[in-house]
Amino acid sequence: EKIDEGDERYKDLKGNKGKPKKKDELKKELELLLKYTDMNHGPIGLSSARAAEILARDGPNALTPPKATPEIIKFLKQMVGGFSILLWVGALFSWVSFGIQLAQGIDSAFDNLYLGVVLALVVILTGIFAYYQEAKSTNIMASFSKMIPQQALVIRDAEKKEISAEQLVVGDIVEIKGGDRIPADIRLIFAQGCKVDNSSLTGESEPQSRSCDFTHENPLETKNIAFYSTTCLEGTATGIVINTGDRTVIGRIASLASGVGNEKTPIAIEIQHFVYMVAGVAISIGILFFIISVSMRYKILDSIIFLIGIIVANVPEGLLATVTVSLSLTAKRMAKKNCLVKNLEAVETLGSTSIICSDKTGTLTQNRMTVAHLWFDNQIFQADTSENQTTQTFDQSSQTWAALSKIVTLCNRAEFRPGQENVPIMKRIVGGDASETALLKFSEVILGDVMDVRSRNKKVAEIPFNSTNKYQLSIHETEDPNDKRFLLVMKGAPERILERCSTIMINGKEEPLDSEKAEAFQTAYMELGGLGERVLGFCHLYLPEDEFPDTYPFDTDSMNFPTSNLCFVGLLSMIDPPRSTVPDAVCKCRSAGIKVIMVTGDHPITAKAIAKSVGIISATSETVEDIAKRLNVPVEHVNRRDATAAVVNGMELKDMTLEQLDEILNNHSEIVFARTSPQQKLIIVEGCQRQNAVVAVTGDGVNDSPALKKADIGIAMGIAGSDAAKNAADMVLLDDNFASIVTGVEEGRLIFDNLKKTIAYTLTKNIAELCPFLIYIIASIPLPIGTITILFIDLGTDIIPSVALAYEKAESDIMNRKPRNKKKDRLVNQQLAVYSYLQIGIIQSIGAFLTYFTVYAEQGFLPNTLLGVRVNWENNYINDFEDSYGQEWTKYQRTYLQWSGYTAFFVSITIEQVADLIIRKTRRNSIFQQGLFRNKVIWVGIFSQIAIALILCYGLGSVTALNFTPLRVQYWFVAVPYAILIWVYDEFRKLLIRRYPGSWWDKNMYY
Amino acid sequence: MATFNEKKTCSQRMEDFSRFMWNPETKQFMGRTLIKWGMLWIILYYIAFYVVITGLFALSLYSLMRTINPYTPDYQDQLKSPGVTLRPDVYVDEDLDIYYNINDTHSWGRLVTALHTFLSAYNTTAQHKNINCSSETYFFQKSFLGPNKTKFSCKFTADMLENCSGLTDPNFGFPEGKPCFIIKMNRVSTNPICWKKHDFPLEVQYYPVNGTFNLHYFPYYGKKAQPTYTNPLVAVKFLNIPRNTEVNIVCRVVGTGIISDNIHDPFVGKVEFRLKIKENRKEP
Repeated sequence: EKIDEGDERYKDLKGNKGKPKKKDELKKELELLLKYTDMNHGPIGLSSARAAEILARDGPNALTPPKATPEIIKFLKQMVGGFSILLWVGALFSWVSFGIQLAQGIDSAFDNLYLGVVLALVVILTGIFAYYQEAKSTNIMASFSKMIPQQALVIRDAEKKEISAEQLVVGDIVEIKGGDRIPADIRLIFAQGCKVDNSSLTGESEPQSRSCDFTHENPLETKNIAFYSTTCLEGTATGIVINTGDRTVIGRIASLASGVGNEKTPIAIEIQHFVYMVAGVAISIGILFFIISVSMRYKILDSIIFLIGIIVANVPEGLLATVTVSLSLTAKRMAKKNCLVKNLEAVETLGSTSIICSDKTGTLTQNRMTVAHLWFDNQIFQADTSENQTTQTFDQSSQTWAALSKIVTLCNRAEFRPGQENVPIMKRIVGGDASETALLKFSEVILGDVMDVRSRNKKVAEIPFNSTNKYQLSIHETEDPNDKRFLLVMKGAPERILERCSTIMINGKEEPLDSEKAEAFQTAYMELGGLGERVLGFCHLYLPEDEFPDTYPFDTDSMNFPTSNLCFVGLLSMIDPPRSTVPDAVCKCRSAGIKVIMVTGDHPITAKAIAKSVGIISATSETVEDIAKRLNVPVEHVNRRDATAAVVNGMELKDMTLEQLDEILNNHSEIVFARTSPQQKLIIVEGCQRQNAVVAVTGDGVNDSPALKKADIGIAMGIAGSDAAKNAADMVLLDDNFASIVTGVEEGRLIFDNLKKTIAYTLTKNIAELCPFLIYIIASIPLPIGTITILFIDLGTDIIPSVALAYEKAESDIMNRKPRNKKKDRLVNQQLAVYSYLQIGIIQSIGAFLTYFTVYAEQGFLPNTLLGVRVNWENNYINDFEDSYGQEWTKYQRTYLQWSGYTAFFVSITIEQVADLIIRKTRRNSIFQQGLFRNKVIWVGIFSQIAIALILCYGLGSVTALNFTPLRVQYWFVAVPYAILIWVYDEFRKLLIRRYPGSWWDKNMYY
Repeated sequence: MATFNEKKTCSQRMEDFSRFMWNPETKQFMGRTLIKWGMLWIILYYIAFYVVITGLFALSLYSLMRTINPYTPDYQDQLKSPGVTLRPDVYVDEDLDIYYNINDTHSWGRLVTALHTFLSAYNTTAQHKNINCSSETYFFQKSFLGPNKTKFSCKFTADMLENCSGLTDPNFGFPEGKPCFIIKMNRVSTNPICWKKHDFPLEVQYYPVNGTFNLHYFPYYGKKAQPTYTNPLVAVKFLNIPRNTEVNIVCRVVGTGIISDNIHDPFVGKVEFRLKIKENRKEP
C-alpha cells in the first residue's frame, strides 16, 4: 500500500482528498462574498449579524486545547499504580483480621488496625508525593502555553474593524501587513509584495511570496493561500477567511498531534516490568506460605496475618518514590544544562535513544543566513560561520577583496536597529531580509562601522531587488575627495550579473572576461551551489567623471546610466550554517551508537550539504546518486546496498511502500529526509519505531508536533520552538542546541545505570525482611522482625542511601557503548534479582539471624530452645514460660524480648545495608577504582541511615507502639563480619567479571 | 521406520558417539549446549555457595554457644523482678477469672483437678532427689557437690502447704467456699533479698505459715546446676469470700528489689484475679 493512502489517519491532512467538498464550500463562500461586495467601493464584508450567525455555527477561531486529564483522575491513578494495589490488599487484610480479632475479643487486635492504617498511609503519602512531582513538572510547562491574544483587521459592514482573532468567521475579509500573524486560513484576493514565513508549518526557512494566483492543486503549495499562525514578513494582502479554528491546516496538524497516543516511556515499561516481577514474587511466596501455614494447621486468621507480613516484606515501599526523586534530581541537573524535562520519565528515555530524527533549521543550524564562502581572484575562500565570530581570517590583502567588500557594504539596504552598540554583531537585530542581513553583519565584522562607510560613500541612486531584474543596484559618491567619479555597485543572481559584465577583476586589476575566466566562474558557481548555498554575484563600475559629473541627475526609471559592461568582482555564498557545537555532538552520538537522521522540510541539496558539514553524512560515505555520478552509470544500475548514505525526497517518500521505507531505514546508516510534510515525519518516526528503536525527535515548528508526540521522546526548541511543538514535546532545549541532547543522553544512560544500582540495593534487604517470616512460619520461632519495623527500614533508613546512588558517577565511558536494547537490557534483569535475592540477601539474612539468636541466647533462650515455641510463646495465658536456664518469663517479658529481637534484626539489616550501599556503587569496577569517597552523598546516606537507626533504637525506645527497644551496644557489631563478607564477596565477583569477560560467571553474575 | 531397522556399523556408532560427545555443528557437548553447561555450573555454584553460607552460619552459632555461660544467662534485663502466677489459672480475656458454683460439682471439680496435677510435682517421690534444708538464710553453693556435678536443691513438698496440700482436704476447700489458691513466683536466677509476707485484705490463711518463702530455696542456680529444683510455693486459703459477689484480689510479693507496679506487665511482682463463688440460695 502507498504510505500516503494507507493510513486513514492522515487522510484528513491530504489536501486533495478533502478538496472537492472544500471547493464547493469555497464557491459558496465566494458567492456569499460577492453578495456583500460592492464592485465600485471594494469589499463590504459580512454584516455583523451574519458574522455572528456563522460564529454561532462554527465556534470561535481558536484551537481547542488538548483534553487534559482531570486532576482527581491523575491523583487516583497514583493511588493505585505500582505496588499500591498490593499494599492496599495488605491494609485490607489487616483491617479484616482486626475486625475478626476484635469480635473474638483479642486485645492485640488493634496492632492489626494500626498496621492497616500505616500501610494505607504509606500508599497515600507515596501517591501524594508522586502526584506532586508530576504536577510540578507540568507546571513548568504551563508558562509556555500562554498565548498572546491576537487582533485582526477585518472588514465588516463595509467598515474596517479591529477585532479579536477569535471572533473571525469563514467569509470574513481580513487585511494583513508585514509583521502580522495570519489570523486564520485565508485565500488572498489582493496581495502586494506579500511574503510569508511558513517555517512553522512546512519547515521551509525561506520566506514564501504570496499572490492572488492559484498555482498548485495542493493547498500547501499554492501561492494564494496563507495559513493560520504563520507570519506575514513583508507587504500587504487582503483575503477571505476560508477556515477557522480546528479546521485550519494548523488545527488539523494539532489534532493529528493530539490523536497520537502517548506511548509508555521506556523507563515506565521497565518499572512496570520490575513491579510485576516483585509483585509476582510477593504473591507467589505469599500464597505458597499461606498454603503451607494452613496445612501446618495454623489458623486461617494467623495465615492471613503471615500473608500481610510477607507482602510488606516483599514490597519495596519506598522504591518508587526513590526512583521519582532520582529522576527529578537528574531532571534538575539537566535543566542546568539547558535541557528542561517536562515528563520526568523522559529523563531516561534519552539515554536509551537509538535514533535521533533531527529537524534541520534552528536545531542543527543557527537559523540565520551567514556568509560561508567567497570567490574572487579565481579562488574560493572560506568564511567563518560560527555563532560568535568577531573576525574573519581569510586572506584579505588582495585589491579585489577591497573592491568586493565595498560593493557588499554599499549595495545593501539592511540596517542595524539603533541602540545596539554593545550587542555582539552577530546578535544584533537588523531591518532587512535574510541575505542582506547576512551581508551587513559580514561586512560589519570585517570592516567595522558599516553605517559610517555608507555615509562616507553617499548613495545617490538605487534600484532595489526585484524578481524580474534579479539584481540590486546603487550608485554612490566615493569617499576619496580627489576621486570625483561615481561608483556603481550591483549584486544579484550570479548568472545575471555575469551577463552584464565584460571584465573581471583579478588581483585588483581589471581583465577582460574571456571564456576561460567565464568557465572558472561557472565552476565556482556550481561548486558553491552544490554546497546548498545561496550564491550572489557582485560587480561594480566607476562611472567616468566626464560623462557623469557631480551634478549628474541619476534617474532610476529612465536608467540613464550604464548597467552593462561592468566589472565582475566576485561571488559570495550564504547558508544557514550549522551550529559550531553540532558536528562534535553528532560525532558523540555516533560513538554512542545513536543513528542521527535529518528530517527537514528544506531542499535536498541544502539538507545534504548541512548533513555533510555536521557529519550526519560522513565525509567518506556516498549516496546512490553519488555512486552513480562517480561511476558514470544511471542511478538504477547502482546496488542500493553499496551506499551507506541516502537522501530521500518527500516526493519519493510519498510513493514508497512501508516496506521500502523500512528497507531504507535498515540499509542506510546515514539518512537525510528532505521536503517532508508533517505526516511524513510521523511516518518516518513510526518506521524507526518499527525497527525497535527508541526514537527521539527534535523540532520547533507546528509541523513537527505530531512527530514530537509520536516519538519516544520529543524534544522541542525553547527559543525558536512554537507553542505547539513545546506542548507536544517531552523535553525542551532551552538553548536550541543540539549538543544539549548529548548531555541528555549521557544523563539518561547514567540514571538508568544508577537506578539499577538503587533497585539492587533496595531489593537485597527484602530477603532479609522476608526470611524471618518464612522461618517463623516453618520453624515456629519467636517472630524475628515485625511488620512495622520493616516499614521503618523501607521508608526510613533506606530512603536517603538509595537516592544517594543517583549521584554515583559513571563507571566507564557510557558514551562509548551502544544504546540499550529495550527488549533485552532490562532495568531489573534476572541476574540482578537473583544476585540480590539469592546471594547478598541471604548473607544479610544470616547476619541478621545471628544477631537475633545472640540477643535471645544472652537473655536466656538458646537457639535450640527457640525452635517450635511459637504457640506457647505467643500464649497470653502462660506467664511462667521457661527458658534454657529454667528461668520463667511472663508474657510481657517475652514480648519485650521479642521487640529487642526486632530491634537487633533491624540494626543488623541497617549495618549490612551500609555494606550493600557501598558495593552497589559499582557493577563491574572495584570500589577502589570508583573511589570510596568521590560520591559524598553516599556518605550522607550512610550517616543518615545509622542516625535514623540510633534515634529509633535509643530515642524512641520507650515508645512501645513502634516495637523498638534500647539495644545493648555490642549487638550493633554482631553483623559487621557479615557486612565485611558482603563487601569482600562482591569485590571477588567484580574481579572475576573483569578478569573473565564473557564467561559463565560474567553472564550470570553481572547485572 | 526405514532408519530404525537399519543396522549401524561399528564406525557409525563410534561416530554417533563422538558426535554426541561433541557436536561441532550445534556446538553441543554431551547433548547440551555450552550455555546449558553454564546453567549447570551456576547450579553447582549455588549449591557450593549455600553449603559455605550454611557452614559459616553454623560456625557463627557454634562460637556464639562457646561464649555462652551454660549456668547463668549473660543478661537478665527482663527478669529483674519475678513474675507471679496463680494456680488454678483460668483466663478470660487476658484476665485471671476464677468462677465456680458451690452447688455445681463440675464447676469446681476441674479447679481441684488442676491443683492436684500441679502439686503432683511436689509429692515425696518427685522430690526425693532434693535435700532437706533447715537453714533460715540463703543457701549459697559455691561448688558443685550434688550428684553429676550439680548443686543441691531444697525439698519442697506438698505437705508443707498443710490444709492446702490436697492431702488433708482433697477438695482444697472449694465446696466449703473457702478455696485454696497457690501462688507461685517465677524462677529467676537472681537473689531475692528478703521475702516477708503476702499482703492481703481479706481473712486469709497462708501456708506455709506467715506466707513466706523460706530463704534457703534461694538463690536459684539455673537448670543445669539445679536440675531438680522446684519453686517454693505459698498457698492461700480464703476464709470469708462473700457468695455471689465478684471479688477482686491482688496477691503481691513483697521484698526488697521486687517491683509490682510495671504498667505494661500485670504479672510482675503480683498476681491479680477475680474470684466469684456462686451458691444457690436454699429455699426457705
